[in-house]
Amino acid sequence: MTTAEATVGRVRAPHRRRGLSERQLAGAMLSPSLIVIAVVAAYPIGYAIWLSLNQYSVRVPGLSRWVGLDNYLDALKSSDFWNAFKTTFIFTGISVSLELVLGLGMALLMHESFKGRGILRATVLVPWAVLTVGTAIMWRSIFEPDLGFANQVLDALGLPGGHVVWLGQSGYALAVMIFADVWKTAPFMALLILAGLQVIPNDVYDAAKVDGATAWQRFTRITLPLLKPAILVALIFRTLDALRIFDLPFVLTKGANDTETLSLQAYQTLTQDRLVGQGSALAVLTFIIVMAVSLLYIRFVGGNIRTLSEDT
Amino acid sequence: MNSKLSSGLAIAFVAAVAAGCGGGGGGGGGTTPSNVGENAKTVTPGQAQNAKGNVNWCIGKDTTGAFSQVVKLHNQQNPNVKVKLTELPTAADEQRNQLIQRLRAKSPECDVLGMDVIWTGEFAGQNWLLNVTPAINARKNEFIPSTINTAKIGDKYWAVPFNTNAGFIYYDKSKVKTPPSTWQQTFSMAKSDGGFAFQGAQYEGLTVNFLEMLYAAGGTVLNSDGSKSTVDSPQAEQVLTQMQNNIKDGAAPKANLTYMEEESKRAWLTDKDVLLRNWPYVYAQAVAAKKNFGVTPLPKWQGGASASVIGGYNLGISAYSKNPGGALEFINFATAPAAQKKFFIKSSLPAVLTSVYTDPEVKKKVPFAAELLKGVQQGKARPVSPVYPQISEAIFKNVYSALQGTSPKSALQKMQSQINAALKTF
Repeated sequence: MTTAEATVGRVRAPHRRRGLSERQLAGAMLSPSLIVIAVVAAYPIGYAIWLSLNQYSVRVPGLSRWVGLDNYLDALKSSDFWNAFKTTFIFTGISVSLELVLGLGMALLMHESFKGRGILRATVLVPWAVLTVGTAIMWRSIFEPDLGFANQVLDALGLPGGHVVWLGQSGYALAVMIFADVWKTAPFMALLILAGLQVIPNDVYDAAKVDGATAWQRFTRITLPLLKPAILVALIFRTLDALRIFDLPFVLTKGANDTETLSLQAYQTLTQDRLVGQGSALAVLTFIIVMAVSLLYIRFVGGNIRTLSEDT
Repeated sequence: MNSKLSSGLAIAFVAAVAAGCGGGGGGGGGTTPSNVGENAKTVTPGQAQNAKGNVNWCIGKDTTGAFSQVVKLHNQQNPNVKVKLTELPTAADEQRNQLIQRLRAKSPECDVLGMDVIWTGEFAGQNWLLNVTPAINARKNEFIPSTINTAKIGDKYWAVPFNTNAGFIYYDKSKVKTPPSTWQQTFSMAKSDGGFAFQGAQYEGLTVNFLEMLYAAGGTVLNSDGSKSTVDSPQAEQVLTQMQNNIKDGAAPKANLTYMEEESKRAWLTDKDVLLRNWPYVYAQAVAAKKNFGVTPLPKWQGGASASVIGGYNLGISAYSKNPGGALEFINFATAPAAQKKFFIKSSLPAVLTSVYTDPEVKKKVPFAAELLKGVQQGKARPVSPVYPQISEAIFKNVYSALQGTSPKSALQKMQSQINAALKTF
């Protein structure tokens, strides 16, 4: 390794300015992309943080004042923030768990070879391909009281719930939101897990069969452990996405009946109320929460991904 | 990778804090209605007379084509001022976002701003509008008085009414023989004959529905100088208790808690409910659906008066316009009888001029023009305030929670304290 570096260094040295080490060269070559990242990611984040430390007058044009962490303290003291926090986490916990179970099931099914598998794989992905706002509007009309499809079907089948005002009650409204999210993103989960399934070599299963392992044993002892990296990646994607959920509550309920999420609250404060400082603080808090969750994932399961990928 | 990212963030954070220490500015100080736009420039009618040059009109989507027709007509008749139409999105919230983005950037792109009446106070408060008081005063008696109040803060006008709107009661004639004359009667009819539909979801529409009854009962949201909330009153408690009871006893089915305009209209059109509170646009659709129906302006509150809440759009002149004279010239054209008639007939945008309602052609094409005029005349503006969005949020969230069972008294106390807090916003 060191000799190789040295050789490359020596060969390239005449073409480069004197004193530019390997490390500096790498830095120089990476700098364009670092600049792009700085401009599109770091700058807006830094700017949002800057905004969140000030208050901007809604009545006197151009007037602002430095308030330090007051906007954060106000948010952390308000019950609205903690309600939104709770809603966001309940939504994320339940919907991601359901998506995992359903996604795994769908992936296992799609992995089997049977007639029409290609069509099935394509069909399953349709919900995921439709714009969330579009599906949210669709669900809104499906769960409309009286005239909505959901109530008419429940009523016709004589099932309970035919007269529930789904989006007009606490609990039910969140359930609809979770349902809509699971419907839309379980296929995405399935796709990621399917990719993981396809890299598991068949020999392992053959060997297990020879040793007399049952189907269940093969699933729990071979499929699941080898699928772990794919599942973890899918979980990270979905969790971070779900924590930022905005479009579903925005269209379905506008945050009524305990469905106000962190992102929706930040949006309302920022664009409806035009409280730029307070809204930015809420956005930064959401960012920190999402960041913390992703760090936890990487910390506790990230190592897992590396070991497993080195094993294979 | 994560450590690098987090250290990068830490640096950004520290940098921001450090920069803030050097650059923090601004003192306190609030605005009372009288000093909104103290330093704003004024456009005079004289400037419109010799106007020339280009004018850009930014307003929501031209769904019926009437906007571009009027622009075309204007450019034929007044070739000195060339008007261009810039269409904003269909949804009002999006239009507002788009206008605010441009105004924050001090963009001279839009000269004439099409604003929902409720944004007028906010935009004026930000010095985004030119003072049009002389232009309004010159033609004051042409307008329906309630319409110009939506553009008034203190004694100044910040926009010219463009179209107006007011709520109505639609009733199923096969079930309701004579239209109700009080709100109380409306709800007892609804209870016995089959339901009242309104806009009960948690959004701006609920604020309007509540204020219509509150104003009729004699309640107010703010005191006369707009410095304090007066919403926690016996009248408001009476109204909110009635609204809560309607949901409880089924006069207004629970489904109303999810209704916006469209859903409530569908519930009534499909005979789920016999009475409906909605805007004039429902009229044409009910005719098309061959419904046997009647329409009446919003009724009185028993022991009070009748009132409605004014909707519609105002036209303001951007403080960053390079051609305020031309802008006013076009606004005068678009709010003159000929153009107003066109918008009314072609786009169902109710006119802001009293004379248009008695025009024979209008009466023929809009059969309920007389009721509409009455509805608009009894209309009141929603609070014209730079913090209106927060005021409205305090209203609709607390009304919603009362509809869900919170005691009306405590909902009103919370509403009042939230509005007072909003009025103190920096």
